[in-house]
Amino acid sequence: MFIMRFTERPYVAYTEEQVRSSFRSAVRLTFSNANFNPEIGARVYDEAFEENQYAEEAGFDGIMLNEHHNTPTCMGATMNLEAAVLARITRKPRIVLLGNPLPIFDNPVRLAEELAEIDMMSHGRLVSGFVRGTGIESWATNTNPIHNRERFEEAHDLVIKAWTTPGPFRWEGKHYHFRVVNPFQLPLQKPHPPVWIPGVGSPETLVWSAQHRYPYIYLETDVESTVQMMSIYGHVARQMGYQAGPQHFGYLWRIHVQDTDEKASAVGKGFLIGNAGIGRVPLPVDFMAPPGYNLRGQLSPQVQELYKKPLRHDPLYGGVDAANWEQVTATNRVVVGSPRTVIKKIRQGLELLRPGILGVWSNDGTISHEDSMRCLRLMKEEVLPAVREIARELELPGPFETAP
Amino acid sequence: MADHERMFVSAGGAKIEVLRGGRGRPLVALHSSEGNLGWLPLHQRLAAHFTVYAPTHPGYDGSERPPCLESFIDLARFYPWILQELGVGKATLLGHFVGGWLAAEMAAMCPEMVEKLVLIDAAGIKPQHGEIADIFLHGVEGTLALSFHDAARAREYQSLFMPGKSPEERARHTANREATTRYCWKPYAHDPMLPLLLGRLRVPTLIVWGREDRIVPLECAQMYRGAIAGARLAVIDRCGHFPHLERPDEFNRVLSDFLLR
Repeated sequence: MFIMRFTERPYVAYTEEQVRSSFRSAVRLTFSNANFNPEIGARVYDEAFEENQYAEEAGFDGIMLNEHHNTPTCMGATMNLEAAVLARITRKPRIVLLGNPLPIFDNPVRLAEELAEIDMMSHGRLVSGFVRGTGIESWATNTNPIHNRERFEEAHDLVIKAWTTPGPFRWEGKHYHFRVVNPFQLPLQKPHPPVWIPGVGSPETLVWSAQHRYPYIYLETDVESTVQMMSIYGHVARQMGYQAGPQHFGYLWRIHVQDTDEKASAVGKGFLIGNAGIGRVPLPVDFMAPPGYNLRGQLSPQVQELYKKPLRHDPLYGGVDAANWEQVTATNRVVVGSPRTVIKKIRQGLELLRPGILGVWSNDGTISHEDSMRCLRLMKEEVLPAVREIARELELPGPFETAP
Repeated sequence: MADHERMFVSAGGAKIEVLRGGRGRPLVALHSSEGNLGWLPLHQRLAAHFTVYAPTHPGYDGSERPPCLESFIDLARFYPWILQELGVGKATLLGHFVGGWLAAEMAAMCPEMVEKLVLIDAAGIKPQHGEIADIFLHGVEGTLALSFHDAARAREYQSLFMPGKSPEERARHTANREATTRYCWKPYAHDPMLPLLLGRLRVPTLIVWGREDRIVPLECAQMYRGAIAGARLAVIDRCGHFPHLERPDEFNRVLSDFLLR
């Protein structure tokens, strides 16, 4: 099993009142950056780097980064910069970027260069994930959402070609046009760094990932939906002539451990603040999914049959007052507890989902740096060794243990 | 006999829906960002004097889109083909907001096909001082709230803008929003070259605007008048973005004065 550590590097020094008074009461996109204090921002980066350095010592196989725009919920706006720093302040763990939002790049060749530099500077430790980005990323960069998927696929093809086909060559696509593609910054890993695709389950992306044999990482989707969505990947894999296994699946899970269940529950509640406007106020639907962002009617009937993602209420969402913390923890939507409790809950999840990649979203929101460090220490001493043992017992190989 | 018929023409391999009614010289009514809202009272009134064509633009619900048709300029240069297939020669072009922008682009591109031009609270020109309200960012409800000076005065408001919630209606609504997104996202609702190109127009032009339009500021009406030689500007007081819906009597008076004299 491949185990990686994640946090969104959130900025939380603002009030719900301030968010409510922003245009359409949104914590992302239109919440004014006049509410941002760069001195606190600098501290967020300091703490995140310190935690990630310690994550190496704690035995994580990878450090996962992500990227969002126009939002305090994630300080990673250009995660490749953070990745470059991690390349030099860590030695062993994979640097897992989940992922660069391809559609918003007007110059994917530059992106191919940046990623190749990170791969060289880290001596071949890059995992290059790609995403479509949320609708907010389209808004923030003024990328027409109607072209989101087309640009995702074309930029991907161009980056892979830039990495694998000797230049110079010409690229005349629909959205990208280059006379002379010939970057000298090429990745160390051959044929190119591993590509993983994170997401919340757009069926089109699941199909596309399975067609490319890229591991798909479910981003904290609820367990029942995740099982359903995994069947889409498996269905396409069989059509492609291979059997999908744990090495093709990852699951990102909020897991916070403290010395006692009581403390973990009290501290872990900080997850409700921050990410995605969760814990503040809901985002307007068209901010997250502007017109055209979601395609309609282009799925095969078999996939449509498999894709019946329930639109039930998620107790994690809707703000601190609306969320139901007891339900959230009771259903393992968020895992909190003492090492013993957490290990037990992780086992239940691994038995059900059988991922080969586990993303540990160890802290977020108002969980303090001190509590986060304590959490990582307990992970090192008790949780990670136990999870590795469980993964061996359940036969859950990661992508580096089995050829994809 | 029905007051209008629904027909289809084929252009560039795409099946295009057209509503047609009335008798007389041709008048093409170009719908706006909401898509084709059907045979409206405005169409019916015009049909007393004109053969009125109300096509559904390619990509909006009801009409196909050739896959390579992507930008607003693509739409404008494709449209004369549709009119050619309809057998429409020289015609009066009338349009509101996005439809007005389309009429202005077509007129600037092919002035010889335009008899008269009617621009109603039209997009297309970037204001120098204000902004065209971002209908995407405001969302459907926010945009509607900005669209009327007094929505209660618009008799058709409920039926036009409060469609049912059936899956079919929602799908139509989504398709229309997507089409507007495709054509108008960037540059948002304007063509930087349009003011220059309008300088070649020598066709009689009426510009009608609601004085309280909070979507396209009145400044744009003045810019249109400055760009088109001899254009007439009629500003309707106590009226928002939809003068033909909010102040139909005054609107019709202004329109009749221009079209029928």
